[in-house]
Amino acid sequence: MMLENVPILSLLLILPLVGAIAAFMVGPRAKLSKMIALVASAVTLLLASLLMFEFFALGSDLFGSYQYVESYEWIKAAGISYTLGVDGISVPMVWLIALLCFLAILFSWDVENRTSQYMGLMLVLEVGVMGVFTALDYFLFYVFWEVVLIPMFFLIAIWGGPRRDYASIKFFIYTHVASLVMLIGIFAMYFEAAKPVIDGGLGYKSFSMEDIALVSGNFGIVLQTAVFGALLFGFIVKMPMVPFHTWLPDAHVEAPTAGSVLLAGLLLKMGSYGIIRVAIPSFPGAWDTSLGAYESSMFPGLSYMQIIMIVLGVLSMLYGAIMCIAQKDIKKMVAYSSISHMGSVMLAFATFTEIGLAAGVFMMFAHGLITGVLFMICGVVQHKTGTRMIPRLGGLASKVPYIATFMMIGFMASLGLPGLVGFIAEFAIFIAAFNAFEWLLLVPIISVALSSAYYIWAMQRVLFGPLTKDIDLEHIHDVNWYEAAPLSVLVFFIVLFGIWPGLIMDYITPAVTKVLTGGF
Amino acid sequence: MDFTSLYEVAWLVPLLPLISFLIVGFFGKRFKDKGGMVAIGLVGAAMVLSLIIAYGALTGNLPSEGYFETSIEWVVLGSGFAFELGIYIDTLTAVMLIVVSFVATLVVIYSIGYMHEEGERRRRYFTEISLFVGVMLGLVLANNFLELFIFWELVGLCSYLLIGFWFERPSAASAAKKAFLVTRIGDVMFMIGLIIVFNLFGSLTYTDVFNEVAMANVDQTWLMWGLFFMFGGAIGKSAQFPLHDWLPDAMEGPTTVSALIHAATMVKAGVYLVARMFPLLVFNGAVNGPNVLIFIACIGGVTAFIAATMALNSPNIKRVLAYSTISQLGYMFLALGTGGYLLSQGEIESGGLGYSAGMFHLMNHAFFKALLFLSAGAVIHLVATEEMRKMGGLRKYMPITSLVMLIGALSIAGIPPFSGFWSKDEILASVFEAGSMNGVFMLLYVLGIATAFMTAFYMFRMWFMTFTGPEGEATKTVAERSSHGHDAHEHKKGRFSEHTPKVMTVPLILLAVLAIFSGMAALFFFGDTFYGVVYFDEPNHETALELLESIFTHALTYLSILVAVAGILLAYFAYYKNKIDVKAIANKPAVKPLYDMLLARYGFTKGYNWIGEKAVYGFSLVLDKFDRFIIDGLINGIGKVCMKTGKGLRKVQTGFVQTYAGVVVGGAVVMMLLMYLLMTVLGVDLSP
Repeated sequence: MMLENVPILSLLLILPLVGAIAAFMVGPRAKLSKMIALVASAVTLLLASLLMFEFFALGSDLFGSYQYVESYEWIKAAGISYTLGVDGISVPMVWLIALLCFLAILFSWDVENRTSQYMGLMLVLEVGVMGVFTALDYFLFYVFWEVVLIPMFFLIAIWGGPRRDYASIKFFIYTHVASLVMLIGIFAMYFEAAKPVIDGGLGYKSFSMEDIALVSGNFGIVLQTAVFGALLFGFIVKMPMVPFHTWLPDAHVEAPTAGSVLLAGLLLKMGSYGIIRVAIPSFPGAWDTSLGAYESSMFPGLSYMQIIMIVLGVLSMLYGAIMCIAQKDIKKMVAYSSISHMGSVMLAFATFTEIGLAAGVFMMFAHGLITGVLFMICGVVQHKTGTRMIPRLGGLASKVPYIATFMMIGFMASLGLPGLVGFIAEFAIFIAAFNAFEWLLLVPIISVALSSAYYIWAMQRVLFGPLTKDIDLEHIHDVNWYEAAPLSVLVFFIVLFGIWPGLIMDYITPAVTKVLTGGF
Repeated sequence: MDFTSLYEVAWLVPLLPLISFLIVGFFGKRFKDKGGMVAIGLVGAAMVLSLIIAYGALTGNLPSEGYFETSIEWVVLGSGFAFELGIYIDTLTAVMLIVVSFVATLVVIYSIGYMHEEGERRRRYFTEISLFVGVMLGLVLANNFLELFIFWELVGLCSYLLIGFWFERPSAASAAKKAFLVTRIGDVMFMIGLIIVFNLFGSLTYTDVFNEVAMANVDQTWLMWGLFFMFGGAIGKSAQFPLHDWLPDAMEGPTTVSALIHAATMVKAGVYLVARMFPLLVFNGAVNGPNVLIFIACIGGVTAFIAATMALNSPNIKRVLAYSTISQLGYMFLALGTGGYLLSQGEIESGGLGYSAGMFHLMNHAFFKALLFLSAGAVIHLVATEEMRKMGGLRKYMPITSLVMLIGALSIAGIPPFSGFWSKDEILASVFEAGSMNGVFMLLYVLGIATAFMTAFYMFRMWFMTFTGPEGEATKTVAERSSHGHDAHEHKKGRFSEHTPKVMTVPLILLAVLAIFSGMAALFFFGDTFYGVVYFDEPNHETALELLESIFTHALTYLSILVAVAGILLAYFAYYKNKIDVKAIANKPAVKPLYDMLLARYGFTKGYNWIGEKAVYGFSLVLDKFDRFIIDGLINGIGKVCMKTGKGLRKVQTGFVQTYAGVVVGGAVVMMLLMYLLMTVLGVDLSP
């Protein structure tokens, strides 16, 4: 074991942080700051890849427990610690974070305005997201959760589009308010868990996820449901689920491309990650009717929380997909498609079955890769043609075949074409949904037809048909190297994991088995 | 000879064209012919391997279970639900391998000539067509339904890309979209069916699913629904009513692509799927009632009839062929549904014949339809139009093409001894047989006979309009070009007066030979009849002579021949002798609305467009408004209320310490009350 005595998870946080500080420091030397950011994120990616291989070598028996755990006391009086660890759910996500951040930085090679700050903020963002996906202490988790907001706020507010002020403030306030609700949930469980042992508590104060999970399953059903609900609210706004989604399209439309890539590829996953990491295993009494969760009288066997999750998931899937059809801005369309796909993650989690949870996590991973391509290609189109409005575009395929090819692959992956990574995620989610809810499957599966409809229709209008007369296509350029390279890397992985989904699925399954059986 | 080692490497069959896909895709520009020879070489190699494997399988060199299977694990879902990638070879696979690989190879060769003027774009063409062939071969060889579905979707992707090959034409882009979306509706149903079946069996591997014990143990009502939905996939893919309307539009692609889609790949996948799930269908039909099978037969019969009517007055040569494909596919589903029905009712012999006849027709159809399309392609290549009214009298300029197309037309019309006759006759015979047990099939038989009549009529209408009669304007330009010698250099090699290059006519001649003989060859060749080789349940070991005897001593055989001849004669008098004034009849007030309705494809095109543009898009626009003004409005409203409140609260900042103290005390009291309430509600124990 190479990594046995190396604090690799801390390194994954420190490296981009050091990079960020360095990038801020170099100030006006734009080129240097780009190089610093690229190197820092590249080394982080290397480490994350190493982690992935090393973790795999541990054998699947250990995927369900936390590995590379680092724990240091931080504020002893309040029971706050600096605890990091990864299991089979977070390892693929950690790698995805490192990959997307590296590619997003590469893709931003042409940023000229306040470059060093931009690069610094990208790296801070990486630190924040990486922290969320590795933290095993609620306090730390919350700190990272909030840290993420700040760089993203500035990325939108400084490098964003014309309505950037509105979008960035909306993004900040909306998700921050939701985080506060989550914080209330965290405090509630913290205080309840700190009760004396005879009252079913720990007997000491602790924010440690593992500590709290030891006793949280024994909380009263009311409290479990309330805390689960508070956490869930924080998470669904982040994911986001309809009807709490309106911050997302605005943020995406205004955000710079790399910001959108990270927003859709990573930030949304924080919400679904929270559900599977924290809410589901810690509070089984909120959703498991056999443990006394409130059972619906209309649908026996389903708990109310489960029904809420099903409704949110299915609603988001269909609502998001139908909204896509109406959009004229391709980036906004892609943003709504994210809502639709995150809805399928929610539906997958709502099944509370092994296949469902595994499929949901796989979908998070797959969607991360695919949205990377989608938002990058939106950025490329905007950059080359000066517009993202579908009615103004047309016939691009004959002028810029590479853009057309990348867009087609991205769209096809997103609509769930077999052979690409999205398919098995989607298919497994529907298998799980049928397994759990039988005929209800007929409703969410409509989104498959709808997603083909909006993507295929958008392609017809953007890529095919006669050349548009609205914009000058004579002098249009195809992709640059710094655009083609990240796109190609993503396409490579989309195909690789599409043909061989077991590469990722094998990490996930043992870990979700643990989540489902109440182990933390 | 031991074929097992060859079966072991059957994965090479789909892989070779996929390698061609990669080579041409990445390096096609470097080849002088943009990868055409690479595609021919690798697709041809796949064909050779396919044919050898098929020969082995069809001559009884299969393992004793009747199939060969090998697989690797692909992905495991949850604990223990493994999906596989594998190879499954039985006689059904073998027939499909022959059909797909052979037709595909000829089409690729023909493409060298047909696509010659496309220049740089040929790289894209050969890339996509290699992928198309590869995934279709993969579909045929799959050893489980999920693998089949994966290739099924990829076949859909390729047809999308190739139908939209000339994507700068709005009509082509739109046709490609339509093909993808309409078949996608079928695919969603297929997916639902797969999920139901997976949930019942815990596996989608053929050998697990077709296990008698496993089949007996599952809930038959659920199984029925699963099969029903899976057939939905076939409806979309094989362009059956009511999802048939994409196929005529798909004519926007190059004619070679049409030939491939109609004869070998894409639409045949649906028929193959139904044939593949036959054990389930028959078992479920026997135990749970043959609802799904009757449904399949009805869809087939109705589609055959409706599509044939639409072909009656179509002015476009490719459209006529498209309708005829839909119609002939309808025959195949009719045969499979009927055969399954008979089998499920215990009529092993006649039911088995129905099943075999369906697959027999698939094979024969592949050859004569490829022939017809490629001939039409040669015509279009020459006259640069698809409108038959502008053609006429072309026989003089393309004697070979006109002859081979005549063979194709005779074959599809069902004139003995051409191939179409043998299978179509057997289909109608088994439907008639089923008619004695269930009145629905009697009706379907009548539809089938009527379709046979119309088929003969419209095929010969097409042939007469294209090749005989006065020269149309398009023909005249060809005549001018030849006489002025504008393209004399093309003819310096002294080819009679055939205006089509050899690379195109040779595949045509090969296909014509098959269109004549594939029916008879399959009857005699394998030392057994087709019915003794590709069968379900019990092979039918009649000798060829016995079979001939049973065919030609049956009165119905003569009925089907008679209607075919009648159809040809009607076309002869109407379009060759001009004894019947078609225009006058069409303009009669009683006929006109019907005539127009057929031209408008029964309004299906409009209906589809309405659903897409008005219903779905319209609804999405309404929802968009709702999203912007109601949901987002509410959120922004909350924001505004907060801002206003903040402004209002500014006035509280009086600067007087007393006021602040009062507010602090009051606030603390309120907070404590709230906390107390909250904790009581949550059941938190407040005792110290």
